[in-house]
Amino acid sequence: MLVILPVFILFFSFFTSGKETLIYLLDTVLLDYTLNTIYLIFLTSVFALLFGIFPAWVISNYSFKGRSFFDIALYLPLAIPSYIMGFTYIEILSFTGPLQTFARSNLPSLSNFLNQDYLQIEVLGIILGLALYPYIYTASRISFSMIGSNYLNISKNMGLSNFQSFFKVVLPLSRPAIFSGLFLVIMEVLNEYGAVKYFGVNTYTTGIFRSWNSFGDVDGAIQLASILIVVVLIFFLIERLSVKKSRFYYNRNTQLNIRYTSSGIKPLIFWVICFIPFVLGFFIPFIFILNNSLETFHLADLSKVINLTWNSISVSGIASLLVIFFALFFLYVERISKSKINFYISNTISLGYALPGAVIALSLMILFKGSLLVGTFGVLLFAYVIRFLAVGKSPIQSSLEKQPETIDDTGKNLGLGPFSLLQKVHLPINKFALLSAFIVAFIDILKELPITLILSPFNFDTLATQTYEFAVEEMLPLSSIYSLIIIILGSLMLLILKNYIDKQIDVSKS
Amino acid sequence: MKKITFLLSIIAFSCSMNKELPNEVNLYSQRHYAVDELQYKNFTEKTGIKVNVVKANADELIERLKNEGENSPADLFVTVDAGKLFNAREAGVLQKVPSDAVNGNIRTDLLDSDSYWAPITYRARIVVYSNERVNKSDLSTYEDLANSKWKNRLLVRSSSNAYNQALMSSIVANLGGAKTQAWANGVVSNFARDPKGSDRDQVKAIAAGQGDIAIVNSYYIGLLLASEKEEEINAGKSVSVFFPNQGPGDRGSHINISALGLTKNSPNRENAIKLIEYLTSEEAQEVYVNNSYEYPANSLVQPSEIVRAWGEFKIDKLNLNALGEFRSEAIKIFDKAGWK
Repeated sequence: MLVILPVFILFFSFFTSGKETLIYLLDTVLLDYTLNTIYLIFLTSVFALLFGIFPAWVISNYSFKGRSFFDIALYLPLAIPSYIMGFTYIEILSFTGPLQTFARSNLPSLSNFLNQDYLQIEVLGIILGLALYPYIYTASRISFSMIGSNYLNISKNMGLSNFQSFFKVVLPLSRPAIFSGLFLVIMEVLNEYGAVKYFGVNTYTTGIFRSWNSFGDVDGAIQLASILIVVVLIFFLIERLSVKKSRFYYNRNTQLNIRYTSSGIKPLIFWVICFIPFVLGFFIPFIFILNNSLETFHLADLSKVINLTWNSISVSGIASLLVIFFALFFLYVERISKSKINFYISNTISLGYALPGAVIALSLMILFKGSLLVGTFGVLLFAYVIRFLAVGKSPIQSSLEKQPETIDDTGKNLGLGPFSLLQKVHLPINKFALLSAFIVAFIDILKELPITLILSPFNFDTLATQTYEFAVEEMLPLSSIYSLIIIILGSLMLLILKNYIDKQIDVSKS
Repeated sequence: MKKITFLLSIIAFSCSMNKELPNEVNLYSQRHYAVDELQYKNFTEKTGIKVNVVKANADELIERLKNEGENSPADLFVTVDAGKLFNAREAGVLQKVPSDAVNGNIRTDLLDSDSYWAPITYRARIVVYSNERVNKSDLSTYEDLANSKWKNRLLVRSSSNAYNQALMSSIVANLGGAKTQAWANGVVSNFARDPKGSDRDQVKAIAAGQGDIAIVNSYYIGLLLASEKEEEINAGKSVSVFFPNQGPGDRGSHINISALGLTKNSPNRENAIKLIEYLTSEEAQEVYVNNSYEYPANSLVQPSEIVRAWGEFKIDKLNLNALGEFRSEAIKIFDKAGWK
């Protein structure tokens, strides 16, 4: 109940407060902002799908040189916060950046061509696509690996080429998985504020902040956020329904799929398909940030670096544990009670993921009005849980849904109560899913910015807030050591996650 | 059971963090520069008073102050925009700063007539121009930026940016709504490209030849010139600084302040006043100018060498509260003019 409250508060304020700013924004700029948002979502989705699906297909089905390396490396862009990706790329491409500087002194003919205005919505779409494609890659990688070779053999017998079977058989079968990845991408774009503002692209979220930070009208911001929730809710239901309809696919096709060994020009093409998203999405920004960190290392305050690293790790760790605790609680209650109400509650709390962090922080400030609670770690952690519950829920949910209900019945017959059933049966069989939920939540909280800023206790800085402070003051090189640690920590966690995904794929095949 | 114990220990931990220590002062700050940390450290060494800081956007902090009400632990509200102090005052979360708390050498033209804030530094929003493509004699006033001679030559960042909002508010206050709207329309039709990027990016765009003049805050030029990267220094050198509206009888260049507001329910009022005294003193003001490229509020202190090289200038004497008072009107003008 406590977790769902902030959403209600938003709706309550929607109906009770003045609508001047809302009407003003509707009359003037909101249509433009909404169209921009749709266009940006479109661009980002196209690039995220391109960068996500094709490498996933290649890696799931073919063996070629570098395959096992890419299988790990393609997850890594998830460790780079999208606004850092945006700032970094503009710095690299800018007139004073390495690329143009190099061209001016060595390739004068090229330098005029390179001298462009890169702060364009299309460029932003590519950058966000690079930052977010791992969501699609992860989802489709698992799905592609689980589609048994039966389907492919049949489609071959029917005379379809590899290319045709991919588009006519594999993609439709994997649609729910890809859609759930795409859903996360869209939510992230809706939430994006730092990079979007820097690029001068006004999105719907810009409207929320224009109401709050420019007109000083909190009610207007809340009303815009409420409208956003409703739209997202519709998307969300579509996603849940599409997953529900197609749940049977995976369980039936557990046969090992045979990897085609490839020769000739093909391995090179495969290699390029995997190389592009990795290099653009991770390698280039990582090397640039690493280089900046080394150059500014003498300016860094090491005790501060250690202190902030500890803050980030501890707060992300504790919050992620809470996330999986609550996620498990809601999902388990939903499972054993079978009441429709619990289904709705369990799904409504996931909506926090669609809300900009600043709006969640705002609703908590209203919720705890007049008390001393805001500014305590308790409220900060609570806000993280609301924001990231959906992230933690999804792996646990898909894992729980795969366990047949007969398990519960058997447990009950053996005299286990609900609690011991959870402890003795569900926790052990779902332990990989719990680990995976912990890791994705951890990485997201590590990168989190607005909630940490607004609700933070005194003197509490994290790697993300420090990075942002330097970046927003246009001192990007100084921020690099902090963003470097975020990226390294995130990458380490992703390596562990990758290990888990392999196990999941193996389990489903055996 | 373990989980419950764990949860309880977190709650206990969080509560213990909130216990009030006797000798401290609590800041809600919109400023987050490295120089601030240095100032607070020096203050603590001098007085033994610990400085605690929460850093976030001004509007978010005002909201936090409003919702915490009487229980707010904050003593000082620190902003980089007089407009936000005006909002905070309107929201009823500030009290007057006793006049003897503010150092006597603070420039009187920066003080609030109702004494709701103590200024610490100020910055001008100025015009920079390409040394290659612009004659200094072509520049004169903010009003002149709407002149069609600047068509496709003017660069500026987005209207979501508070510095632009404050500038527009000052023009509304000086010229009135109708004239300002006409001005904004003219400025928008002169844009070399859609508004975007940071102030620094506008300067780089001049260096790259994408435009000829830009509206930026003074200290960013200082930051570029003091950069560690040669290419950035070159970009900074490719432009010159121009202070608008300096002619005889003209109003002067638009400025904004960084300032401290004393919160209504400040629990450590004595310590807060000591910090105001310290930060407005010559000693602390020297630290500001040597670590950022802002102008000192204390008239006995000289700006840094890079900043001094731009020469002295006349500041717009407009009551700084106008920067908050006319903010909504300013934003509507932005929207109407299509200034993204």
